[in-house]
Amino acid sequence: MKCESCNKKHATVHLTEIVGNVKKERHLCEECAQSVNTQLAKIPSPSEILTSLINQVAPEIGEMSKTVCPVCGLSYLEFRSHGRLGCPIDYTIFKKGLVPLLEKMHSSTQHVGKVPSRAGKELIKKNELVQLRNELNKAVEKEDYEKAAELRDKIYELSGNNDEDQ
Amino acid sequence: MNFQATTMKISDLADNTGEWLRGTGSESDIVISSRIRLARNVARFPFLLRANAKQKKELEEIVSNKIKEAAITQDLCYINLADITPVDRLFLVERHLISKEHAGGDGDRGVAFGKSETISLMVNEEDHLRIQVIRSGFEMKEAWKTIDEIDNKLEKKISYAYSSRFGYLTACPTNVGTGMRASVMLHLPALGMTHHIEKVFNAVMKLGLVVRGLYGEGTQVSGDLYQISNQFTLGKSELEIIEIIESVIPRITSYERMARKALLSESREQLEDRVWRSYGMLKVARTMTSEEMMHLLSQVRMGVNLGIINDVEMKTLNELFILTLPGHLQKLEGRELDSTQRNIIRASYVRTRLEKIKN
Repeated sequence: MKCESCNKKHATVHLTEIVGNVKKERHLCEECAQSVNTQLAKIPSPSEILTSLINQVAPEIGEMSKTVCPVCGLSYLEFRSHGRLGCPIDYTIFKKGLVPLLEKMHSSTQHVGKVPSRAGKELIKKNELVQLRNELNKAVEKEDYEKAAELRDKIYELSGNNDEDQ
Repeated sequence: MNFQATTMKISDLADNTGEWLRGTGSESDIVISSRIRLARNVARFPFLLRANAKQKKELEEIVSNKIKEAAITQDLCYINLADITPVDRLFLVERHLISKEHAGGDGDRGVAFGKSETISLMVNEEDHLRIQVIRSGFEMKEAWKTIDEIDNKLEKKISYAYSSRFGYLTACPTNVGTGMRASVMLHLPALGMTHHIEKVFNAVMKLGLVVRGLYGEGTQVSGDLYQISNQFTLGKSELEIIEIIESVIPRITSYERMARKALLSESREQLEDRVWRSYGMLKVARTMTSEEMMHLLSQVRMGVNLGIINDVEMKTLNELFILTLPGHLQKLEGRELDSTQRNIIRASYVRTRLEKIKN
């Protein structure tokens, strides 16, 4: 089929326009299609349409669509298509997308249940360190250097054992 | 500590049922069982979706060994699901020792369970480890106590994937946080008959609970058996979740009792007729589908609860719900059976069981 407009090239763009009850078909080559109808030039590519659709449904996906976990290789889109994560690190890598999702699923995004004793020890240690640092700052402010040195040693001792978590 | 010789054969289980079907425990006329499961994953390993065959094998070895080391109970045995037949796997599903997904999965995966079948530990199901405790009747807190202890023992041996923000990290974000699903299996025939069941479900859903069929997600309701479980796993502690369920269940059971009472006072003869006909059918039928069996057992079970029938034990009825399922019948016969053969054997098995009672 030849292009209706230039009658030279093959018509590769087929348009169907329906106004009221009247159906109008047009067959154009790509060049003519672009010049004849400025609107046509603006027609977004399928991938653009998809992105905008996804953005309407789930805004985080557009932003996250290129994110891939460096550890397990799972992409955020793969996760969204079958709903399963690939590794524990995904919870960090996909956090931006996951947080609103978790909010929808569980009406919460913060765990308040059981703490494994291993992680528990770490948490306790962390809290202790925070407390010791505060005390150290106070001691320095008061120019109580003896106490500060004592606290500093304690902090070193505590954080020195910090090989478990990572 | 070693596993009991894994040779504890599946067929040895076939003419018995687990302790949770005893029909004991609180509210056991309506609450068949209370079940809790915890989903756990091993830190520094991909979830199963992204694990290759080698990693799966490694995980299976690590987790099953740690279960052994943790000395959970004396009589734990371990079965590698890849080593057993599909009928055996179906049998374990019917027993609630493994899930449908676990049975249908592939690669290295297994299950450890004790003789009483109250504890089961699934390795490489959707998560690396799923711990399950089932108890007869409405015994949620006790089930939690048991499973919490098992989890504590395992936690000493296995470094779990955990974050302080999201809790126990699971393959599916619907389980993240506590990783806990607490469910209660209820027998609600009168609410079904009086068409009040929908109302119950709507109310239950508003409280963040879900209603499922006998075998969990996506399974059909049969025999008027329903499972009610928590939907949220994040943002509430294990005990808070259990307390929600504990507060809801008594309302449902009293609603069911009211519906039964109403049926008795308004249409006693019809109800008695229904119950006796069902009982009669079970005693005489020569062929019966699983679906019909469940339905009739449900009617008779209610009849026993209401004192209409006095010669059958609750335990027998509870057991028959499980023992007449396809996997069990095939284990019992020791061969594969098509559905026509199963229907004949099912009817004859129940007849024999009920005849014994008469004498």
